[in-house]
Amino acid sequence: MSKNTPERREARKQRAAEALRQKQAEERRRRLVTIGAVVAAVVVIVGGLTWWQSTRDTTGEAADVVPSVAAGAEADGTPGEIDGYGIVIGQADAPTTVTIYEDLQCPACANLEAQLGEPLAAAVDAGDVRLDYRMISFLDRASTNEYSSRALNAALAVLDTAGVDAFRAFHDDLYANQPEEGGPGFEDDELIDRAVAAGATESEIRPQVEDKVYEQWIENATDEMSQAGYNSTPTILIDGEDADAQQLAELLQ
Amino acid sequence: MKDWIGLLARLVTGSVWIVAGVLKLPDPSESVRAVRAYDLLPEAVVPTVGHLLPVLEVVVGLLLVLGVLTRPVAVVSSLLFVAFIVGISSAWARGLQIDCGCFGGGGYDADATSTYPWEIARDAGLLALSAWLVVRPRSRWALDPVLFGSSHTTDSAETNERNPHVEEHA
Repeated sequence: MSKNTPERREARKQRAAEALRQKQAEERRRRLVTIGAVVAAVVVIVGGLTWWQSTRDTTGEAADVVPSVAAGAEADGTPGEIDGYGIVIGQADAPTTVTIYEDLQCPACANLEAQLGEPLAAAVDAGDVRLDYRMISFLDRASTNEYSSRALNAALAVLDTAGVDAFRAFHDDLYANQPEEGGPGFEDDELIDRAVAAGATESEIRPQVEDKVYEQWIENATDEMSQAGYNSTPTILIDGEDADAQQLAELLQ
Repeated sequence: MKDWIGLLARLVTGSVWIVAGVLKLPDPSESVRAVRAYDLLPEAVVPTVGHLLPVLEVVVGLLLVLGVLTRPVAVVSSLLFVAFIVGISSAWARGLQIDCGCFGGGGYDADATSTYPWEIARDAGLLALSAWLVVRPRSRWALDPVLFGSSHTTDSAETNERNPHVEEHA
């Protein structure tokens, strides 16, 4: 009973205060360790997912399959060739070069083709214009079945197996009958039927269409347009200078 | 009451981040092109930013919704909104006609000039909510106190007795 002297009370108080301080220091340390662990986990997750995104982005990787232009089918004498990511149609000595970036799903491109496609084709065939089609694909999300890139792949297959005339016919047909945005575009079978109607041979294009062999080339062509600083289709250049549909119409008059 | 405002700020900002990021994740090359379309960053860093942004958005969104590391994450969220407001304003000022790419997409947009003000207003609103959480990160139903313990126990007990609503510093 006599233990409860003022000295002992004071000592007990000090011990209690010391114990509390230690407990608090311990808790603070544990809290910092937990925060550090969570921060580290977040950094690892962000870094890992970013790396995963970069591995899924195949932009710039060399394409295994590159389209060529099937020779010998140019009945009307209008030649065509692939130059980089351009599908260049017309005489090499034509005085004017018209470059058009197009996506086969793009409604504004369909409008342009409906308005100026025929006079443009006539100018190309007359040797007045060399047409450099830059066909790209960034509108896959506008259809439910990646129509944009599948249609372009089919067009490249037609160019590769049946030549420039068949490509032009197929290209014009796809714009004249462009599927609406938001719905399903033509399935592979429909694309193949239309390609055959344009002059391609089914047995030759079917494997290229179904395997989407030009996917990487299309990815790179699309990236090339972005790197060139163009963000929209149709983008028109006349002799390398930015132009609009009005200027193209005046050129073709 | 203020705890409920914090919860609302976390849920609104967090879910916008999650939606924005998830929509961009499926197409990394598209995000890269959307970043490039702003024509603000050097080409050397454009692909990395394009790959990083959607991931960062999803992670920031999840952490906000869960209430984990609320204050530092709200700082990151605020900085991202400032960057986006600067980017969109700059595109507008330079007369660029681009889709902000905020929820996927990107590139040209014919209606861009009429959507820029609305996009900037939206980001400013979300910036305000993020800033609230920077100033006052404590909120209802957050995991922070569960994971890290309440800061009340680590602050001096005396202070807490006198002021039980002392703000959390995590």
